[in-house]
Amino acid sequence: MRRIIPFVFVAAALSLAVMWHGSITALAQEGVRVADGIIAGVTANEAGELESFALLNAEGDIIEVEVRGGETPTQYGLESQAGDRWVSNQAENPVESAQRLRDHQQRFAPVTVRIENGIALSVVERESGRLETNLGFLFAVFAITWGAFFAYIFYVSRKQRDLQRDVTLLRNAMKRTAGQQNESRREP
Amino acid sequence: MKSILHPSNFLLWATAGLMGLTLWMVFLWVPTETNQGAIQRILYFHVPVAWVSMVAIIIVAIGSVAYLVTKNEKWDRLAAATAETGLVFGALMLLSGMIWARPVWGVWWTGEAKLTTALILFFIYVAYLMFRAYFPPGAQRQRLAAIIGVIGAIDAPIIYYAANLWAQAHPPIVVGPAAGAEGSLAADIGTTLMVATLAFTFLFIYIVMERIRVRTTEDEVTELRRQAGALEGAAG
Repeated sequence: MRRIIPFVFVAAALSLAVMWHGSITALAQEGVRVADGIIAGVTANEAGELESFALLNAEGDIIEVEVRGGETPTQYGLESQAGDRWVSNQAENPVESAQRLRDHQQRFAPVTVRIENGIALSVVERESGRLETNLGFLFAVFAITWGAFFAYIFYVSRKQRDLQRDVTLLRNAMKRTAGQQNESRREP
Repeated sequence: MKSILHPSNFLLWATAGLMGLTLWMVFLWVPTETNQGAIQRILYFHVPVAWVSMVAIIIVAIGSVAYLVTKNEKWDRLAAATAETGLVFGALMLLSGMIWARPVWGVWWTGEAKLTTALILFFIYVAYLMFRAYFPPGAQRQRLAAIIGVIGAIDAPIIYYAANLWAQAHPPIVVGPAAGAEGSLAADIGTTLMVATLAFTFLFIYIVMERIRVRTTEDEVTELRRQAGALEGAAG
């Protein structure tokens, strides 16, 4: 069992070293904030047209975002659970926008929102932004996975060693006891 | 010295080789997934450990049924060793899933069907092992533990089909008989996932074999203690 410990150790060290290697940065347009998260609430008017929504980001903050129609409407690129992509904007489909965001809210489906002065420029399926944050989570998973395997294999290995020692001690003790019995039988 | 073709050695080298290949594929070969970014790489560890933890409870059930039918101790050892290893993999399944969920869903945990059934599986392993630890040794303990193992296995297919039965937040099934067309993976991602699954399955088999060896030694120690006690009693 102890033979596997070096392999686990090397695998853990390699995976962690590869993750630390290099840095990845994501650039955003100046003045435009990019936020990832899940939809925490949707507000629509009496006609069912989307007015605003709340975004819950990875830090647990709720960001209130309004949408706009007009000449430069909020753009949408959202996928259904089956993977069909719906592309539209607030001016063309304000009612369906609300329905789509509610569907995302129910499914906890993550979205990426580009925000300028509290107004959403676009709401799309989550993109690969915030890579540096993601790497922290990836690092945590690998550290825990390899740490747990290492600890468990070490525990099993130690236990086997202790048991083997017990077996040897017990066998020796039994041999001694049997020898003493034989000697006492020989004595008149 | 054992030959490299000895099952124990073969498994060790195969596991080491596959783990190395998995790491190379996960970090250097497979492209970054466009929607989730780097964190999607957790999938290559989360899915294999989840697969192994579900297979483990089925092996516990098979070992338990075989013990109940044959009363052969080796089946009980297989079930107990697999349950303990399954608990480790089950814990890693939950932890890796939670760490993936935090940045993607924004929450560590939600009462979603697949997550809840996976948590139940973890508790089944805990219950099985606690029962074995606290109940007095003997045939009755083994019989009752076997019954827990058999009942626990019912949870495995429920976990697998949960994403289809109750379509909620968890991504749809991407491998196996229930994977739909929408769940099909890109070739690179699918290949990496398969290699990673194979690597963790080999690691699981190796650990279970070693754990069975420990259990056999434990039984040997118990028997030797009994014999030593009898011998001393006869001498005294």
